[in-house]
Amino acid sequence: MKRVDWTTLPFRVLGWMVLVFLAAPMLVVFPVSVTPNRWISLPSGGISFSHYAAVFGSPDWLSAIGQSVVIATATMVVAVAIGTATAITAWRMAGHWIIPALRVLVLLPLIVPTVVSALGMYRVWVDFGIFDSWAGIIIAHTILATPFVFLTVSASLTNTDRRIEQASRTLGAGAFRTAWAVLVPAARPGILAGAVFAFITSWDEIVVTMFVTARHIFTLPRMIFEEIHDNLDPAVAAVSAMMMLVTVAVAAVLLWRDLRGTPAASEKP
Amino acid sequence: MTAHALSLRGLTKRYQGTVAIDDLTLDVAAGEFLTLLGPSGSGKTTVLMAIAGFVQPTSGDILLDGRPITRLPPEAREFGVVFQGYALFPHMTVAENVAYPLRVRRVPPAERATRVRETLELVQLGHLADRRPAQLSGGQQQRVALARALVFRPNLLLLDEPLSALDKSLRTELQIELKRLHGRIGTTFVNVTHDQEEAITMSDRIAIMRGGRLMQMGSPAELFERPGSRFVAGFLGRSNFLNARVTATGNAVTLDCLGVPLHQARAPGWSPVVGDAAMLALRPNKIMVLAEGEDAPNVVSGRITTALYAGTVMQLVVETPIHPALEVSLAIRGAEGLPAEGDSLRLGWGLNAAVPVAPDAAA
Amino acid sequence: MDARVKPADDDNDCRAIQLHCIRLLDASRDERLLLLCAGHPVCKKERALKSLPKLDRYWLLLVPVVILLGVFYLYPLVRVLLLSVTDPEVGVGNFERLIIYHGPRRVMFNTFRICAITTVISVSVAYLLACVMVHAPPRRRRIMLALVLLTLWISVLVRAFAWLILLDDNGVVNNTLRAMGLISQPLALVRNETGVLIGMVHYLLPYAVLPLIAAMQSIDPALIRASHSLGAGRVRTFLSIFVPLTLPGIAAAAVIVFVFSLGFFITPSILGGGRVVMLAEYVSVTVLEELRWGFAAAQAVVLLVLTFLVLGIAGKLLGARRILPS
Repeated sequence: MKRVDWTTLPFRVLGWMVLVFLAAPMLVVFPVSVTPNRWISLPSGGISFSHYAAVFGSPDWLSAIGQSVVIATATMVVAVAIGTATAITAWRMAGHWIIPALRVLVLLPLIVPTVVSALGMYRVWVDFGIFDSWAGIIIAHTILATPFVFLTVSASLTNTDRRIEQASRTLGAGAFRTAWAVLVPAARPGILAGAVFAFITSWDEIVVTMFVTARHIFTLPRMIFEEIHDNLDPAVAAVSAMMMLVTVAVAAVLLWRDLRGTPAASEKP
Repeated sequence: MTAHALSLRGLTKRYQGTVAIDDLTLDVAAGEFLTLLGPSGSGKTTVLMAIAGFVQPTSGDILLDGRPITRLPPEAREFGVVFQGYALFPHMTVAENVAYPLRVRRVPPAERATRVRETLELVQLGHLADRRPAQLSGGQQQRVALARALVFRPNLLLLDEPLSALDKSLRTELQIELKRLHGRIGTTFVNVTHDQEEAITMSDRIAIMRGGRLMQMGSPAELFERPGSRFVAGFLGRSNFLNARVTATGNAVTLDCLGVPLHQARAPGWSPVVGDAAMLALRPNKIMVLAEGEDAPNVVSGRITTALYAGTVMQLVVETPIHPALEVSLAIRGAEGLPAEGDSLRLGWGLNAAVPVAPDAAA
Repeated sequence: MDARVKPADDDNDCRAIQLHCIRLLDASRDERLLLLCAGHPVCKKERALKSLPKLDRYWLLLVPVVILLGVFYLYPLVRVLLLSVTDPEVGVGNFERLIIYHGPRRVMFNTFRICAITTVISVSVAYLLACVMVHAPPRRRRIMLALVLLTLWISVLVRAFAWLILLDDNGVVNNTLRAMGLISQPLALVRNETGVLIGMVHYLLPYAVLPLIAAMQSIDPALIRASHSLGAGRVRTFLSIFVPLTLPGIAAAAVIVFVFSLGFFITPSILGGGRVVMLAEYVSVTVLEELRWGFAAAQAVVLLVLTFLVLGIAGKLLGARRILPS
């Protein structure tokens, strides 16, 4: 016998409206991307994929997309390696006085406003000669992505029984061997989550990228940013739609497991 | 203040597939201290929550002084509730916690302050009025919970295992205090616990629950001396259970228990027929150790297998023909000449020492 | 004892057993195997005599991160922040310019103001959403949470662009309102402060919702029942018991939103139409277009100090609340 709760109904309606406000605006990108017109508009007289064709036919767009994919993948690999190694040590050495300082250091790129980080890196990248280079952008993105990996892997490790590590060590396996054979498998969910966060961080990164690259490295976000400022072309909508699909697909794969099985939600990035 | 009577009529609560309360009917007399006693899962807490209004019964009624209150929301019932864990508001001081129900009832500030002070004095916490719950010990928190539930002069006080979180010595002290409090203010108390010692010490009457049903209800003495079933006999204090067969009926009943003749007084409600199986509940403290030449209506010889010294009593386990491990509680006055393991002895008890009980239906 | 743990040959040699175990471990990665191996009686004795080495090679695992963050992050940060007092001349001239001149002062004031407004709106709206979510049945709550988290992942560029499309004079919102006859002239919703606020609130809402949900879920339900049993209705219970107990969550959400919003660049840049310049964008212009490193560095210092100040105050407040019995 379900009774309608009238007193809270307006609040619940408002709550769902907030959710719509939150999740829906991005959906407008999809219809705009298939507008037959050559300016930003909702498709009114049929749909056209000409803008997608324009994007995927344009060497500039393709180059930007390709660069972003490469950089994001490289960032993901390096950030996962470094972040996991750091998290393992921080977990293993938990009582040591230096660990809290280490945590602050690793999380610094998250706390410091991006533009400040960008300013610093710009100057030093020029000095080091890695301005506007593959190495430079990958290092920059890795710095921004590693804190996420550190957080997710650390979260995974908190649930790991310390005795596993001790058992491995007493059997003669050294630190590196233990880390690889025992701790990495134990932290697998956190590592996967961290990899996803790292990829998306690099994929979406714009502020630091603006400062440490010029023309040689020209990522997708940079191209979108300039296009938005210069001329509002539905092609931007097409690219945005594609960017979103990549992000949501990657995120959904991760959240899928949470939605079905475990009641705990993934931690916030 | 006037006390109120509570009635439960055919109270039933069903959850997906399980029956938490099964057709419960009982009356709580105005001003009495009733305890719902039972093992975990017996439904006693569910009954309390139903009385408080947090659980809606599937069927049945709850009546206050004859008026049905089943549909009334908790905030309208005017029942004081002392929750397990006390549920004191952490962001308020002791005084503010106790003042809360008065504020809700818009009692003017002056009167509010007076009543808060009086109630805190009642539970001997006047000096801690400005502390916060986290600064108090368990026993003190419990008293604040009591004060808060009593300050608005409720129709009834409901207590959900109020002493379970406290250690033994504190528990005994608070049992006495609760009893005294009840005597002073006269409100009807309904207490829930799984601790039979607590129930026996504090209550005017006890309602024993099992599997959502009421097994037996009566004063502590009634339940203790005349348990109606094996479950009640075993739950309230310890009991030996003797399986016997009726061999003769007359002024007293004669039974045969594994070859040993036993004699039992007739009791109202027990009409044994020769050949019937019967179960006798015999409490350890009702069995006497017989000296040379001493006699008793029931005599049995045995050998002590375990002897535990417990200060005022000896707890003995005796191997006898009627029971392989008969428990005997022997009151003692000193530590000299006590029975020891391996000793042989003769045990005896009177016609009214044991109580015939019904064996339980399938649990 | 698991049969797998026995090596083929000599099983009185702990070393042989260890090697055998490591081989098994490499092959199967079975954690339980480890515990079985560790319990082998031959090794137990040997183990009792040895102890773990003092200098743990785990520390070596930190070398990459220390180099990465030390050389490529800390050093650049310090280097640039020093510029604020060395370029173009040694001294606090840059900071003076920040205070004296109308332009930069205006930017800082606007930034602070917009961040404050964003915080108030975000936390209020987030509180409503969090309340609804926490009281929803579990399955519905999971869906709502998934929606909230999903939006966290969407690029700031895509979001800003989407709002641009929606809020433009000829955009979806205005056209719909005009079609419904509610307005005759398009509302100026973008390329101004309104658009910036909408965009910022939209971005920061999830960051406010999450700590609020955590705070609300940590409230003992017995307290709510106690309040009802004492005669308080739902409204009274909500205002007197529920809200005060969520205060730490509100504070956490406000701090997170405010600190994040201070550094906002992209959203105000795209949705502000050039009219709303916040500090982050001002820094960018100062460096990339005007090449005034010292001045930009001074602004960066202000940003950084504000960030740490707010975090520090919050830490004290929230930490103190934990000590204060409540």
